[in-house]
Amino acid sequence: MMPDMTQHGKAEVEEWKPVSNTPVILFDRVSKTYGRINALGGVSLGISGGVTGILGMNGAGKSTLFKLMMGKVKPSSGAIRLFGTDPWKNSAPYSRVGFVPEHEKLYDWMTAFDFITTFARLHGMTREEASKEATRVLSFVSLDDVMHKKIGQFSKGMRQRVKIAHALVNDPELIILDEPLQGCDPLARTTIMNVIKQLGAMGRTVLVSSHILHEIERITEQIVILHRGRVLALGNSHAIREMLDQHPHKIVIDCENPRELSKDFVDLDEVTGISFSNPNKLLIETKHLGEIHKKLPEIIVQSNQLVTGIDNPDDDLQSILMYLTGGSL
Amino acid sequence: MTEDEPFEPVPEKSESFGAETPVTGKSKMQAAWSADDGESESSAQVASMSQGQIFEQIYRPWEGTLNPRWMRNWAILRHHLLGIFKKGHRPWNIPTRLFIFFVVIASMTDVAMALLFGMIGDTTLYDFWGVNRDNLYAHVMGFFPRNILYYPIVAALLVGGMISEDRSHGTSAMYFSRPINRFDYAAMKFLSVGLILFFIINGTLAIYYFVDILVMGKGWAWIIDTFPMFLATFVCGIILSFTYTSIGLSLSSVSRGRFFPAIGLIAILMGTKAMAAIIDSLFDKSLLYVISPYDAVAHVCQALIGTEMTYDHPWVWSLISVVVINGLALYLLANRVSSLEVTRE
Amino acid sequence: MSTKMDTIWSKLDRKSTAIAEFTMRQYRTRISTWVVLGAATVAIFLMLLFYIEAMNTEIEAIDNDGDGLINEDDIDWDNLQDGVNYVGEDDDGDCENLDTTSQRDGNNNKNECDVLIIVDTLNGTTYIYPDANVDEDPDEDKYGKEAGHRAFILGIGKFGIVYLLGIFLPLFLATGLIREEMSDGTIHYMLAKPIARGEVLLYRMLGYIGLTWPYILGLCGLMCLITGFTGPGDGIFRWSDIGVWMTIAWAAMLVSLVYGTIFCAFGIIWKNGVILAILFAAWELGMAFVAILSGGDSPIRYFSVIGWGMIIVDSGVAICWPDNWQLIQSGLWGGGQGTENFLGEPEYVPLPGAEPLDVFSGSPNLGTSSWLSLIISTLVLVFQGIMSWFVGQSIFKGKEVD
Repeated sequence: MMPDMTQHGKAEVEEWKPVSNTPVILFDRVSKTYGRINALGGVSLGISGGVTGILGMNGAGKSTLFKLMMGKVKPSSGAIRLFGTDPWKNSAPYSRVGFVPEHEKLYDWMTAFDFITTFARLHGMTREEASKEATRVLSFVSLDDVMHKKIGQFSKGMRQRVKIAHALVNDPELIILDEPLQGCDPLARTTIMNVIKQLGAMGRTVLVSSHILHEIERITEQIVILHRGRVLALGNSHAIREMLDQHPHKIVIDCENPRELSKDFVDLDEVTGISFSNPNKLLIETKHLGEIHKKLPEIIVQSNQLVTGIDNPDDDLQSILMYLTGGSL
Repeated sequence: MTEDEPFEPVPEKSESFGAETPVTGKSKMQAAWSADDGESESSAQVASMSQGQIFEQIYRPWEGTLNPRWMRNWAILRHHLLGIFKKGHRPWNIPTRLFIFFVVIASMTDVAMALLFGMIGDTTLYDFWGVNRDNLYAHVMGFFPRNILYYPIVAALLVGGMISEDRSHGTSAMYFSRPINRFDYAAMKFLSVGLILFFIINGTLAIYYFVDILVMGKGWAWIIDTFPMFLATFVCGIILSFTYTSIGLSLSSVSRGRFFPAIGLIAILMGTKAMAAIIDSLFDKSLLYVISPYDAVAHVCQALIGTEMTYDHPWVWSLISVVVINGLALYLLANRVSSLEVTRE
Repeated sequence: MSTKMDTIWSKLDRKSTAIAEFTMRQYRTRISTWVVLGAATVAIFLMLLFYIEAMNTEIEAIDNDGDGLINEDDIDWDNLQDGVNYVGEDDDGDCENLDTTSQRDGNNNKNECDVLIIVDTLNGTTYIYPDANVDEDPDEDKYGKEAGHRAFILGIGKFGIVYLLGIFLPLFLATGLIREEMSDGTIHYMLAKPIARGEVLLYRMLGYIGLTWPYILGLCGLMCLITGFTGPGDGIFRWSDIGVWMTIAWAAMLVSLVYGTIFCAFGIIWKNGVILAILFAAWELGMAFVAILSGGDSPIRYFSVIGWGMIIVDSGVAICWPDNWQLIQSGLWGGGQGTENFLGEPEYVPLPGAEPLDVFSGSPNLGTSSWLSLIISTLVLVFQGIMSWFVGQSIFKGKEVD
């Protein structure tokens, strides 16, 4: 996912078409300052295809990144391109974009159906087209039975789904969701996550920001980590984990006699450390998680030990984030 | 703690928290604090990894003393008044503060003029600007510029977000989760706007009167002569402040924004006056002036102070109108505040 | 990077109707809309009550010349033109019954028993020299009703409808059109679409017009009907008033559009834009006074919005009531009774209604025909509206919306 900085898209004059061969979203050394606060500093990244998670602590610059993408604010320096076009200067790319904002306010006095059809027409649809599309997206998010009820009567999860439906009505190639799981109950979160995965599987570019890390893990492995306005890491989360040399992977094996079992691992090259945190647990540290996992089954079978569990406690985003940010959660 | 009863049952209390408990300040404090009486040592316990633990919850009624009601209300009033010129209190915005400052200065032009000509020794011009019945009336009720530019706009800026901002920001919940009842809340808001207007109008009036006495060296005979009309004007200033405040606050309680009350107040004051002026010029009938709050108050003040009456209808009708206008506004205010839903919407 | 004109100004009909309809529905859900429209209607009808009462009250007839007969010699002036006019008739014969020619031709214009009027529209002066006992006892009721009726229409029309309604409707309804959406955060539903920000502003204003223009038309239509039937005159309905009411409605519609665009732009520029709007309204109030009280003479009014609105109404009056100015002059003269003041000038006692009508009437004073004045002032107001929109959308385009 390394961005190619030589590409700068040019939009056609007559009818706007997305420019091929550029990333869908391109940030080229983008900075944004609010007075003395440096919200983003020299961010460069390109995003195309599939679901990408944007992670970061509060104040990392996620919201600013999204605002820049959606043309709400303009960059202090650097260039942003959506489908090859600068969104601050030209709102044409939005015909291909669906955006689910973070803030809550909706028009409570409108029905879900009215809300979606009204704003669908801003994409240039006729009334009939808008009605058809609205019905389609509302059933996609499972709101078709309540679509003629006023939004003011909806629960939080339903409101989020209305916003997602609104973003999908123009069949966008790029869907951006800013903290979509915030404030939702577990059932709503599962529904929304399934929707996001489905969209990614359909070939769209989906960008999701969240700080509920274990749920992002369930949706995607492509991540961008922001910290204090800079990109700290981007790419496959497991690959990134591999790169954290100074934090070797931990493998915890639950067994009856860890000390006995440990003898089989001591000689392996990939193992950098062994400890016994618990009478029934063997902790192995390694820099090559994949290699060890390949060898694990054979070793365990040959050891004749009863193994009741194998765990990778720090192969998750939480640990990645902690290690990368120096534990400053 | 025994095996069968892992936690102690909550002991019977004479006070209950049922629905029938009257919502007094004291019962609210109890629900909020549920503190113990400070006799037992409190300690924090952390459940260790392998076990679970349940913590005892012992609720005791709060036996402390609540501050008297007037002190709580004074806190609200103080918060609103001091915010005009001090940090750490209600953050009035800069345009409002600047405009209040400007109006206070501008209201004292008659003081400046009287002083100037008095000290120069120009008796004709001093008589024109100095304290007399008409000038006292004009200080409070003069239409241009005071009651078209200064006082209504100050009132509008003050009442603008008074109640509506609390509703939209959700800070009214902070008031009502404390032992403050809604009447007190509305009353203190009313008093704070009214007092600020009072200080501007009557404060500058008092300065005008007393500076004239002090600097021009008026004797007791003069003071005895003029004090009744000063007092009458003072009362008129109170009526004016009260009326602007009640109309403005009732508008603020109705809307959710900051601007509707402000524009609404100006629209009512200017619009009714304009309407009445048109009808008066067309048909020579001054009756419609009773619906204009400014003119109704002005008419009453003319009668009280004893200046020339500029309206044809009896001043009692204007007095009734002032009472009715204030009554309606206060009724609306009371109604809205008592049914205010303490949520963000 | 596209630096050419936005290619997003396309499919205008769909986008415009979507936003305009949405705006009108949004207005409908707000209580403030109903309160404002309702209060304005109530206010106008309250004034109407006074009018109806005045139209149904007999104006006291006065024996102006003290000869024991009342209203026997009404003012008969027709078609006053610039320059010298010989008008008037001695209805009761008390001039013709005078003995000598010199008595019958007091103004020495070789016509007996007439009124010599010298009109100088350039300097705005009128000199009236009647022969003795000509047109000296006019009909107060007839004149007063006609003048009162016209003064009411002009007073309510110019000041009540064009100014008050024209400024308070946009103050309440237009200032927050964009600003409130920005504060609520819901503006992004409109902006994050392939639509220019200028379009959003334009279509929101379209929705605003969709609410205010029918209201103004309806109100003026109703007033026209009521005053047309209750007004003085021989026929059942005063057809000549229709044109005046149409110009009042047209002026109010244009003025409310221009103010609406300006106030909306204020709201975009600054969070507390309504303060700017109030200050602007105060300036326009001053201009309204100047426009009305100067009777169309002052050039300052060209620097305002309301001044041009008044010109539209004045043009309408000049077209539909061509005898208006003459009516005013005759009423102000009032039969020629009165004393001389200390300067030796005659101070006439005006007929009832003459002074208000004089105050509220004005002339377009653009140096062209009335129709042309109407068109010119319409164009000026439209131009002002377009400029305000242009400024508003330029600022909106560069505004970061968090």
